[in-house]
Amino acid sequence: MMKHFRKAAAAALAAVLAAGLLAGCGGGSASGGSDGGSEGGAGITIFNSKMEIQDKLEEKAAEYSEEKGVPVEVYYSSDTVAAHLATRYSSNEPYTISMVDAKDVYALAAEHALDLSDQDWVANTTQAITIDGKTYGFPVCVEARGIIYNADAIKNATGKDFDPASIKTTDDFKAIIEECKKGGMESPVGVMKEDWSLAGHFLAEVYEQHDDPDAFIAGVKDGSIKLIEDQKFNDMMDTFDVLRDNNYAKDAAISAEREVTEQKLAEGEIAFMFGGNWDWSVINAYDYSENMGMMPVPNNSGDGTNEKLVGGGSKYFFIDSSENTSAEQQQAAKDFLNWLANDEEGQSFVVNDCALVPAFSNNTLEVTDPLGKSVKAYADAGALIGNYNYLPDDHYSVVGASMQKYLAGEIDRAGLADEITSYWAGAEVGAH
Amino acid sequence: MKRNTMSYKVQQFLMFAGAASVLFLAVVIIPFIYGIYLTLTSWDGIAKTKPFVGLANYVEAFKDVAYWQALGRTAIYSFFAVILINIVAFALAYLVTSGIKGQNFFRAGFFVPNLIGGIVLGYVWKFVFNRAFVAIGNAIAGGNVPSLLSTTSGAMFCLILVSVWQFAGYMMLIYVAGFMSVSDTLKEAAMIDGCTPTQAMFNVTIPLMRASFVQCIFLSITRCFVIYDVNLSLTKGEPFNTSVMAAMHVYNTAFTYKKYGLGQAEALILFAVCAIVGVTQVYIGKKGEVAA
Repeated sequence: MMKHFRKAAAAALAAVLAAGLLAGCGGGSASGGSDGGSEGGAGITIFNSKMEIQDKLEEKAAEYSEEKGVPVEVYYSSDTVAAHLATRYSSNEPYTISMVDAKDVYALAAEHALDLSDQDWVANTTQAITIDGKTYGFPVCVEARGIIYNADAIKNATGKDFDPASIKTTDDFKAIIEECKKGGMESPVGVMKEDWSLAGHFLAEVYEQHDDPDAFIAGVKDGSIKLIEDQKFNDMMDTFDVLRDNNYAKDAAISAEREVTEQKLAEGEIAFMFGGNWDWSVINAYDYSENMGMMPVPNNSGDGTNEKLVGGGSKYFFIDSSENTSAEQQQAAKDFLNWLANDEEGQSFVVNDCALVPAFSNNTLEVTDPLGKSVKAYADAGALIGNYNYLPDDHYSVVGASMQKYLAGEIDRAGLADEITSYWAGAEVGAH
Repeated sequence: MKRNTMSYKVQQFLMFAGAASVLFLAVVIIPFIYGIYLTLTSWDGIAKTKPFVGLANYVEAFKDVAYWQALGRTAIYSFFAVILINIVAFALAYLVTSGIKGQNFFRAGFFVPNLIGGIVLGYVWKFVFNRAFVAIGNAIAGGNVPSLLSTTSGAMFCLILVSVWQFAGYMMLIYVAGFMSVSDTLKEAAMIDGCTPTQAMFNVTIPLMRASFVQCIFLSITRCFVIYDVNLSLTKGEPFNTSVMAAMHVYNTAFTYKKYGLGQAEALILFAVCAIVGVTQVYIGKKGEVAA
């Protein structure tokens, strides 16, 4: 009798333990399944990779759901975009609409994106991504790079109104910096040490300012172009030297923090920084000066590139084409993109709520932030040099490390050119 | 019922370990085998097709200079971190078993860093290195003192320091258990035989605690070799990608550079290195173990 009882008790205990084990992991998978939200119905999911608009987008999505009767859920992840989407694809739960970078569209479109060529908005933008005659990428906004200036700070130092159009060459730039210094501003420049800024944005301008970036990179790759002898490279690095030598954090360039640099710029402690209109989302967190703006990176080449910002469409929406997304959902997704591009409310959302520069010519709302205004002005005047979207994924990191060494004075220009050249010897540009 | 029949054994096994085995199989063994398969493909992590390329990824992994640099760096980091972690942990354990006032409070205090996640911990220390130390340095030396994190050897030093701070408390607990397992009578006998306290420590207590050492060194080696979270939040590989540890390089290769197959192959090599070092250490350590 006792023996039977013991046996039953042992079995019961083992069962309880096993149940506990299973419950622990069952809970996990259940919650994993429910946040997919893509199964059935016409509800759509949106993946947002632009952190600064997440709150606004969530709010708007709730309103939109209410109005149109289409449930819209918004997700955000700080992971690398491709890495995050990879996990969703491998669990067969893709987002209906995903916001990705241009290079991701080129990598993903063929297998995962819906052809949007027949949509109305295609005619109203020059920034959509089209591959082999099919349009896949819906441009979320226009972003551009250049030198951000604080005109109030410059006026305080020099006593004169600042006219950005007067700064065209590296020599002009040096002169205005000297003037600021004389006026009491010790070091008028901030340099972001982030690899994406140094290599992905600044060095990329060397490629992009060539008439044919593909040919230039191919030349560097096969050795027919010696980077250290290249006029454009030297012109741009001359300007970079001016930035570097007047950096407020010159002695500790690698430990300068982005937020601190942007705060100094916003509050007028420094006057210039290489960046883009996305920096506004950082600057506006501080007590910023009224008169700020963006100007092209000055250089001595005299080929007109010093009168244009570099940029274009930034962040693209694409709609999932797999069987995990129903035709109904795809239609709802198309409706949402149309609403964003053509509906008054959608247009206002892009410009007023998110403070983005619209990529569509029929969106004529006034851009509110000063950097965005500059970008819009250059874009409207056709003075944008297009982004080169086909840099390999490891470019910003590997070459960024070289640029950081140059910034810190660990290697000279010849050393930098060598490292960039040897990077390209083993790298392939993305398909396009 | 006979207890030595196959069916009885299987039944017992299933009853007690069945569920756990299935789970272990599902979340560790099968993914591991699938991972080995992926090293034989040139998958980018997201495409629908996984082209089979044989051993090409391993060839490329052996040619990947940045990977071997990262692995070498990890070995150097682990070497110093493991030694320091164990010295500090042992000293702390000695301290909190020696009967000082409030030793339970100290035990809890030293253990707390281990409860803070590596990511948070990295950000906290980053602030300390970049702001607090710099401010103190500026006040003393005047001018702009660069942060420790902005130099190659400084970043390595910071990583080691933070790891020691994080792991020492955990290892301390194991050493505390070791200290308590050595019976006082043995030590007393040694003292009566004429040992000084130091001699008793080195000739009686430490040999009897050998199991604790083997365990602690094994745990710290395996943890140090695959360090990722502190690496990510404290240095992010900076400056100049010279503080990228092996695990971070694997992550970057697989997910950021979209070479999933190659990254997986490099992860497997890291696993092999880690396993060989760990098992060798345990084997050597166990050989000389004495029982009280």
